[in-house]
Amino acid sequence: MAANFWTSSHCKELLDAEKVGIVHPLDKEHGLTQEDVKIIKIHMSNYIRTLSQSVKVRQRVVATAITYFRRVYTRKGFTEYDPQLVAPTCLYLASKAEESTVQAKLVIFYMKRYTKHRYEIKDMLEMEMKLLEALDYYLVIYHPYHPLIQLLQDANLAELKVTAWSLVNDTYRTDLILTYAPYMIALACIYFACIVMEKDAHTWFEELRVDMNEIKNISMEIVDYYDNYRSIPEEKINSALNKLPQRF
Amino acid sequence: MREEQNQLSANNDINMVDLNQHPADSNPELSEGTDNVNKNDNSKGSRAPPPHPPPKQLDPSERYRKGITLGQGTYGTVYKAFDIVTNKTVAVKKIHLGNAKEGVNVTALREIKLLKELSHPNIIQLIDAYPHKQNLHIVFEFMESDLETVIKDRNIVLSPADIKSYMQMTLKGLAVCHKKWILHRDMKPNNLLIASDGQLKLGDFGLARLFGSPNRRFTHQVFALWYRAPELLFGSKNYGPVVDIWAAGCIFAELLLRRPFLQGTGDLDQIGKVFAAFGTPRQSQWPEVGTLPDFVEFQFVPAPPLRSLFPMASEDALDLLSKMFTLDPKNRISAQQALEHRYFSSVPAPTRPDLLPKPSRVDSANPSRPPQLASPGGPVVLSPSKARRVMLFPNNLAGILSKQVSQSASGGTPIEFDMPTHKLREVYPPRSRITESGKKHLKRKTMDMSAALDECAREQESESNLDPDPQHSAKKEKHT
Repeated sequence: MAANFWTSSHCKELLDAEKVGIVHPLDKEHGLTQEDVKIIKIHMSNYIRTLSQSVKVRQRVVATAITYFRRVYTRKGFTEYDPQLVAPTCLYLASKAEESTVQAKLVIFYMKRYTKHRYEIKDMLEMEMKLLEALDYYLVIYHPYHPLIQLLQDANLAELKVTAWSLVNDTYRTDLILTYAPYMIALACIYFACIVMEKDAHTWFEELRVDMNEIKNISMEIVDYYDNYRSIPEEKINSALNKLPQRF
Repeated sequence: MREEQNQLSANNDINMVDLNQHPADSNPELSEGTDNVNKNDNSKGSRAPPPHPPPKQLDPSERYRKGITLGQGTYGTVYKAFDIVTNKTVAVKKIHLGNAKEGVNVTALREIKLLKELSHPNIIQLIDAYPHKQNLHIVFEFMESDLETVIKDRNIVLSPADIKSYMQMTLKGLAVCHKKWILHRDMKPNNLLIASDGQLKLGDFGLARLFGSPNRRFTHQVFALWYRAPELLFGSKNYGPVVDIWAAGCIFAELLLRRPFLQGTGDLDQIGKVFAAFGTPRQSQWPEVGTLPDFVEFQFVPAPPLRSLFPMASEDALDLLSKMFTLDPKNRISAQQALEHRYFSSVPAPTRPDLLPKPSRVDSANPSRPPQLASPGGPVVLSPSKARRVMLFPNNLAGILSKQVSQSASGGTPIEFDMPTHKLREVYPPRSRITESGKKHLKRKTMDMSAALDECAREQESESNLDPDPQHSAKKEKHT
């Protein structure tokens, strides 16, 4: 969305990378490791994406929902709020905040189809209130998609659009959106795409006068995802999820 | 227009790439506002990362001591309350969730979402939000009054400097919204709230939304009818911030006239009133008008001189008015440009907010909203200019005047008295009529109406521009 990121709550809410990965003490007590937390987050981000395809919402809504999800769990433990309920609720809340409301019953319907969890509409609406509080009522989220298109246009690299776009999609499987400004993520994805597609955009990047170290850090994070978490074995996910208190 | 905006944002974004070149904001007022938020945040910000949030000193339901009920909205009740931490009076909006199947009301969510992003002396401040007993509570700063009350209070004489002050504050608030790509979409005197220190603040962001993402289509069913811009009346779905400017122009006119300026009784009548005041647009004046979805051709009526509508306004005021009332949205002035207009730099200087006239408190127990004196359809409120004219014959007319005031205040039927009505007729030329081809077109339109409505509903559902908003229709009824 074209709006002023610099004066936004999103900008103020950006966190240091070290603070995002930490395991909540309550989760630690249940034996969750940093690795488990990472895996649960990726798994649930994928789950939000799957759900969104069924309830049919725009890409923006999915991106916002995943951002809410990740932001909530920088403050709350997985043992406190069940991710199996938080994920669909984030999607529901994001659909409202992004003016593309989907019905609560529809979200619940597909949730029941994909998981064995027996949450009802009532539970989701209760959770909605809790999430609003956990998010401190900050709901406006900026995404790299919009700057991506504009930057590509400026760099005359329109042919990278597809590659860079899917890279941006994959950044939502990391906590990058919580730690870096969206345009930096977009730039890193362009940088990455340049390497993948063997395009030379050195001069363009130099003219930008951005911190290339930051771009490198973002790219490394994306590489880490591709190297280690692209397909997580089922048993790893289950072992992480099984450490959470079983609610049903 | 849209392209221009995108271009603009493109430039912004590219500039933004250079961090050093882009200070938070050059506008001192704005950065001051941001500071405020940061201050608020510090207490909360520290709460975010640490594992166990420190127990809040006070439960919000304890912190805000509920007082009298100020009003019933469509989606909640507003209470006056006392914040025992800051010792300030606040207004608490309680959003009923009850048996709601869709959780937090979208209108309320919109208001929270956008007000969290806005902090400016001319925009209502969102102090807090908290859930209590399954209801969502939103805490706002308490506002003494609103501009509608001021306009309708016959004891108040608004000097040109006062009007300038109100307009400047209105436009400052709007400029901040627009800079943040937020459309207010419900500008009217009733939503311009006035704080105890005289500051005017934009309130009620229940219809507001972010704009600027390309190809998004919005609903044109926004604003109270009398404040709706011509492009909205013709059903435009990709309009921009200048819709707020049109409404601000209507408010400007209302401050000058002391009555709503263009009081249409329906969409078409409203367009008729607009064209009667500003002339039917020629092709050259507004080339795209014919392409708007609900366009109906009107018989050509030339524009009467603006001076005849606002006899007492200054040259500068008229010039700004005409720029705010430009029919073609592409050529309408922006909030920022309006603030830079010479009207605001010429004498008289705008009155300091704390020196602005205050509405008389009719009921000291309930100072928030004095009962509204005139119903919208009721007697015409006298403008200061007329009052001045009346003063030329102090003996007879002033007496009638005061009688009329007391009568309407007690809800009596309005009595006609000669001068203003006939003056009015002079002021209002016969409004333009729909042409024959326009009528035919309209007939076709009405025949397709039900189909179109269905389609519209589906469209809204799929694109979810805006939920069918009960609050809005309620608002509309109030004014139509």
